[in-house]
Amino acid sequence: MSEVTKISPAPEEAARIEEAPKTRPRRWPRLSMVGALAVVLALLPLGISGSYYMHVLILAFMYVVIASSWRAISISGQFNIAIGAFMGIGAYATAIPSVWLHWSPWVTIPLGAVAATIVGAALAFPFARLRTIYYAMGTLFLGYVVINLITAGGKTTGMSTGLGGVQPLFSDRTYYYYLTFGLMIVSMLCMYRFEFSRIGVRMKAVAQSHEVAASVGIGERRNRILAVAFGSFFAGLMGAVYCHYQGVASPSSYGLGATLWIIMYILVGGINSFWGPAIGVGILLIIPEFFFRDLKGDLPYVTAAMLLIIAFTMPEGIAGLVKLVRGRIFDRGRREEVRADASGD
Amino acid sequence: MLLETRALTKRFGGLRAVNDFDICVAEGEIVGLIGPNGAGKSTVFNLITGVLPVTSGTITFQGKDITRRQPEQVAALGIGRTFQLNPLFHEFTVLENVTSSFQLHPYSSLFDIFFNTPKYRRNEAFIREKAYEILELVGLSKEADELAKNLAHGHQKMLGVARALATKPTLLLLDEPLAGMNPSEIQHSLDTIRGMRDNGITVLIVEHNMQILSLCDRVVVISFGEKICEGSPAEVRANSEVISAYFGADYVC
Repeated sequence: MSEVTKISPAPEEAARIEEAPKTRPRRWPRLSMVGALAVVLALLPLGISGSYYMHVLILAFMYVVIASSWRAISISGQFNIAIGAFMGIGAYATAIPSVWLHWSPWVTIPLGAVAATIVGAALAFPFARLRTIYYAMGTLFLGYVVINLITAGGKTTGMSTGLGGVQPLFSDRTYYYYLTFGLMIVSMLCMYRFEFSRIGVRMKAVAQSHEVAASVGIGERRNRILAVAFGSFFAGLMGAVYCHYQGVASPSSYGLGATLWIIMYILVGGINSFWGPAIGVGILLIIPEFFFRDLKGDLPYVTAAMLLIIAFTMPEGIAGLVKLVRGRIFDRGRREEVRADASGD
Repeated sequence: MLLETRALTKRFGGLRAVNDFDICVAEGEIVGLIGPNGAGKSTVFNLITGVLPVTSGTITFQGKDITRRQPEQVAALGIGRTFQLNPLFHEFTVLENVTSSFQLHPYSSLFDIFFNTPKYRRNEAFIREKAYEILELVGLSKEADELAKNLAHGHQKMLGVARALATKPTLLLLDEPLAGMNPSEIQHSLDTIRGMRDNGITVLIVEHNMQILSLCDRVVVISFGEKICEGSPAEVRANSEVISAYFGADYVC
């Protein structure tokens, strides 16, 4: 039989093409959801004060910011595998003056964030010539170099065992909870403005085609450096807070392993969504620590399996699924939302 | 002269893609740069816009030397361009392609953008309005909310023009605007280009479709990286060297 198989286009395919409503989308459902979650998190310490759960949430708040800062860098098309190193620069820039000079943490933490920004921007300059896998591999080794330099610092950095005796900010964990919670909200607001304004449009333009972007006056190098500087500020800030919270700066917290987990949060949560990193942290950090602590050793396997399932069934990550469901409920097109966000008001 | 190149040369290894090439464009003109495939036309564009570094020679625009400028600096000076291939931000909608191309006029500083100042909001409102006007002009206002990658080829080309117009160019470089278009689209494109000139934009067109000749005030013919002829469309049409370049030396007799 030499019958030719006919592939006819599905008629419903055409019908499924979005019929865009011309009105502006209503944003209160999402805002009220975020607001409700914020209120719950703000009141939670009343119930779990001093417990292990509070420790987990403090870590989660920090990782939400760090993962989101990675995503802020990625929207300009840069897959930076050195985010852990930026955290590390922030951590050691606060730990060293704190331990050896006894400076106040309230001075050294901002110093850590600024140091990470400056180093990030300076290192971004040569790397702005690299793209795709070359950029990823280049930054991966950059991360190694930074960690190796830190461990080679002798007594000043405490070598591979880390630098202990970093002054704590507070004696009560509840204060850390509110500090990290507040920093998370402010950081997320900054990153929201970064992405859904003309700055984000420039970043996304550079990611899609640097040639076309240049032809309308969007410089690739300048914007890519800006993205890295912006992202490393928040990574450095949280690296610094983390180090004061733990009381120690240890190189293992900022190595490749840390970076890979951060990227995993984002991939599982959804790399194309602003809330993806937060969702990923919720699923891979909060849920296992809250409910499956006995199985912690198996987390890498579960995560790998989860990533496969997500890749096959929901290419936009969990956030994509949320978006789909919400789209059904509130009956509005994704594109309208994106457009309204991009218009910046 | 608005744009002038002197002894412009570009070598790729041993190959002289552009050799000792002079072209000048006066304000308000439509100049055609034609030649067979591989003659070096697009290379000339990429040299002018700073995409490729120049081997030797100079380029001046409005009296300023722009030989070693970066592409985004050239755009900021008022040279807009379209691309032969891959001319768009594919993941943006048609409207976003145009609004995102408004980077220079009006200009919002990073501070204004980040803190959402009244100035920024005014600029963005103005940009949206202007973007719709430009889409109207190139005949894409109905497709404003489509994703750019879903557009038909001819429409993508027109969107490339719309994007270039958003930079408010003094000089517009069009790289094969007619390639791959059907006859009615070609007619529409020719009308649009003429309309742009009437709005005070100087146009330099690279094309190998000879229909472009009807539009041009002056035509420069390039073959194997060298200028072989320059003149009015009628003169160029009659020139035997041009005919031999297009059809082979045997054709002329």
